[in-house]
Amino acid sequence: MNKATVTHQSGKSMKDVSAALVEVCSVRLGETWFGVPITHILEIVGAARPQPVPLAPGYVGGLVHYRGDVLTTVSLRQLLSLSPKIGAQDILVLESAGGCFGLLVDSVGEVLTLSASDHEPNPSILDQRRKALFAGAYKLKDRLLVMLDPERLDPLLLSQAS
Amino acid sequence: MDELTREFLIESQEGLDRMERCLTDLETRPKDAALLGEIFRSVHTIKGTTGFLGFKRLEKLAHAGENLLGLLRDGKLVADRPLITGLLQLLDGLRSILKSIETEASEGDGEDTRLIEELGALQAPAHAHQPARAHAGSHSASIAAPVAPPESTVPSAPPGPAVVAAPAPPVNAAPAAEPEASSARPQSSPAPAAGTAAESTLRVDIILLNRMMNLVGELVLTRNQVLQATATDPNMTLLSRRLDMVTADLRESVMKARMQPVSNIFSKIPRIVRDLSQSLGRRVRLQVEGQDTELDKSQLEAIKDPLTHAVRNSLDHGIEPPAERQAAGKDPEGTLKLRASHEGGHVIIEVSDDGAGIAVEKVRQKAIERGLITADRAAQLGERELLQLIFLPGFSTAAQVTNVSGRGVGMDVVRTNVEKIGGKVEIDSRTGKGTTLRLRIPLTLAIIPALIVRSVNQSFALPQGSLSELVHIPPELAANAIEWIEGAPLHRLRGKLLPLVFLDRLLMPAEEHRPTTERDNFIAVLDADGRRFGLVVDGLADPEEIVVKPLSAVLKNIGLYSGATVLGNADLALILDPGAIAMKAGVTMSARDESSDVEEELDANARGMDFLLVEVGGRRAAVPLADVLRIEQLPASRIEYIGYRPVLNFEGQLMPVEDSGGVLTAAEADPDAKIIVVVCREGSRHVGIAVSHVLDVASGADLFEAGTSQRTGGVTLLKDRVTGVVDLGGVAALPVAETSTGQWNQIAETLA
Repeated sequence: MNKATVTHQSGKSMKDVSAALVEVCSVRLGETWFGVPITHILEIVGAARPQPVPLAPGYVGGLVHYRGDVLTTVSLRQLLSLSPKIGAQDILVLESAGGCFGLLVDSVGEVLTLSASDHEPNPSILDQRRKALFAGAYKLKDRLLVMLDPERLDPLLLSQAS
Repeated sequence: MDELTREFLIESQEGLDRMERCLTDLETRPKDAALLGEIFRSVHTIKGTTGFLGFKRLEKLAHAGENLLGLLRDGKLVADRPLITGLLQLLDGLRSILKSIETEASEGDGEDTRLIEELGALQAPAHAHQPARAHAGSHSASIAAPVAPPESTVPSAPPGPAVVAAPAPPVNAAPAAEPEASSARPQSSPAPAAGTAAESTLRVDIILLNRMMNLVGELVLTRNQVLQATATDPNMTLLSRRLDMVTADLRESVMKARMQPVSNIFSKIPRIVRDLSQSLGRRVRLQVEGQDTELDKSQLEAIKDPLTHAVRNSLDHGIEPPAERQAAGKDPEGTLKLRASHEGGHVIIEVSDDGAGIAVEKVRQKAIERGLITADRAAQLGERELLQLIFLPGFSTAAQVTNVSGRGVGMDVVRTNVEKIGGKVEIDSRTGKGTTLRLRIPLTLAIIPALIVRSVNQSFALPQGSLSELVHIPPELAANAIEWIEGAPLHRLRGKLLPLVFLDRLLMPAEEHRPTTERDNFIAVLDADGRRFGLVVDGLADPEEIVVKPLSAVLKNIGLYSGATVLGNADLALILDPGAIAMKAGVTMSARDESSDVEEELDANARGMDFLLVEVGGRRAAVPLADVLRIEQLPASRIEYIGYRPVLNFEGQLMPVEDSGGVLTAAEADPDAKIIVVVCREGSRHVGIAVSHVLDVASGADLFEAGTSQRTGGVTLLKDRVTGVVDLGGVAALPVAETSTGQWNQIAETLA
């Protein structure tokens, strides 16, 4: 938790120097790269095998043991209607208003420092579901980095939406 | 809120709690100087500190109270009933202002003039034994100059040399005032047992304690994992055992730190009894026992409401008005007893009255009237079974709705609240003699014993509290043992039909499941909220002490799980909620099932103990169930012989196996044959008994008679047949097998 707070602060101080820079952690899902602002990430847990919860809503990826607590995870694959992945996955532990939850992704990439001027809002042709989950995209040199909005991935919010 | 104010609030609340206790005591001992001193000090301390902190409204009210209390303490007034009522109102007034300071950080803008006037009026000549001048003076002081600084009014109050000097002067800060007051307490008031020495105790934030409990829970989990991982390594045995011990000790200490005496909630009861008995026109004497019994703080909070409810019920429905009692030849003053005690891992809290008892016929009528039960069924029910009906939702026997009880929310709420914290409610009532309500509360909630079961390739934890027995149905027997009525599975358990719920079908309704005839079926017979049913799982693992971890709201909403836990093998397991499963599966609350349970319990109590009924070489025999540790099915080749004595290497230890029925001899011919060994506890050692079949569990009467063979320690009437009881002591009395192995070897050597 300390680590995250430190990065959080350094992110802020960078903002002070130049408000235009944002730090984003890239995560991979199949062939697509997504970005999560690091200010929301508490910790990254590698190679986890969540315990499935029968009768849980589809987007719940299962439970993992995290620092003495039992953490509910959200499966990004499920949310984007992709086929489930066999084997271990990485988990981003995210902080939201309702507490912590885990986001299951195929793997975690690197932390990128991006300029806010490269950000574009969601394109209008995106379907409703994705529009609700995505927070625009950054134009990188060779590809697009689709941003995820951690607030909208909170399992409690998802349960209200569905 | 600043530190000083917070400190002041805590201390004032404690002071007022003490005052409340003393006030109700004062009613029985109106002249007790120690009590009066204590009450005076509570109010005086509040007044003093409040002036310093600048709470004017509080100061004004406390001041008016102090004047009255000063007269009382000096013996110029006598604490009669209206006066105590007035003081209780003062207490409520002070409490409500403190509450508003706590929640809104201001005193609120309520008006206390009426209360102050009433307190003033209580100093009037009717109550006084002294010239009117003195209290007229203090009276006018409290009304005419309410905002006057305390310094000017203190001299005008009657002089009180000894006790006034004890509390700190108003200029002193709150923290200084409290130690003085509490150090004065032990000498002046021997009555309140709650007074602890300030030097050896300290206040700890409950959040910190919760965190400690959580960490200890983690440690218990880690210990479980270490124990499992090192079970086979002899080098680690000593270390892991030590870890085991230290963890257990630590856990106990932390749990103890969270314990609070039940007097914390019992102390509220005298006031309730007093107020209610006045408004209902009853005369009630309250007896409290076992105030020192301790319970986890969270558990204590949870039973506050059920307990209050039970007391209200006793006063409203139980104890009759004095005239009625006299007519019945009873003491016009009723007795309400509150009793707390330890029993195993539970705390028992009893609320008993010597009132009219529960009119069983009325219960029957009411239940039919409310449609809770059919008339036919009601006619079949016995007294004890009918009593259970009062726990059904929507049941209330009060003829009219009073502001005390009878609004349809009643005993079912008591039961629900108590069951929520893993407790049980029992009721016992005799017409004309009284009613006893017994709350059975587990000591703690955070760590519970559970049985780990397997289904849909996952582990689940089943709380032991609701588990009554386990039944194994192998695939070849499933066709007969599991019967169906229109798709509803049932099992005949000792002649009664038990509804079954298949966990896999419940959890994964969309998928195909293997039929019962192609797999092992384990039925966990559960009792939950008055519902009795069998939960069918694929497999059983060991029982474990599990640490309950809360689930996120999304998963809680599923309704089947009460939490999750980490098992010894580091797997996560969901904790099943038997009550919720019963609801989901549509198992209805059945008064019939419950009553049969009670009957069984009664039988067991009245006629003796439970036995495991076994068949040994064509004969039936009984083993006391309390001594049975487990039933092992194993290949006959596992049995080894030392000389002629059959022994079994059981969990690394040698255990003599008794084979008087010739079961082993019969199995010897076929090396693949499976034999059944009932492992029993005999003193400190284990003893195995080879049997042909395990038949059933039944309760029987102990009949120790002469003339039985050496093998049987006695006979018992089991299922109406005289059955021999296996004498376990007799097995161990032939100690050749274990102790003289070495000796025997020597003999063998010499022979060779």
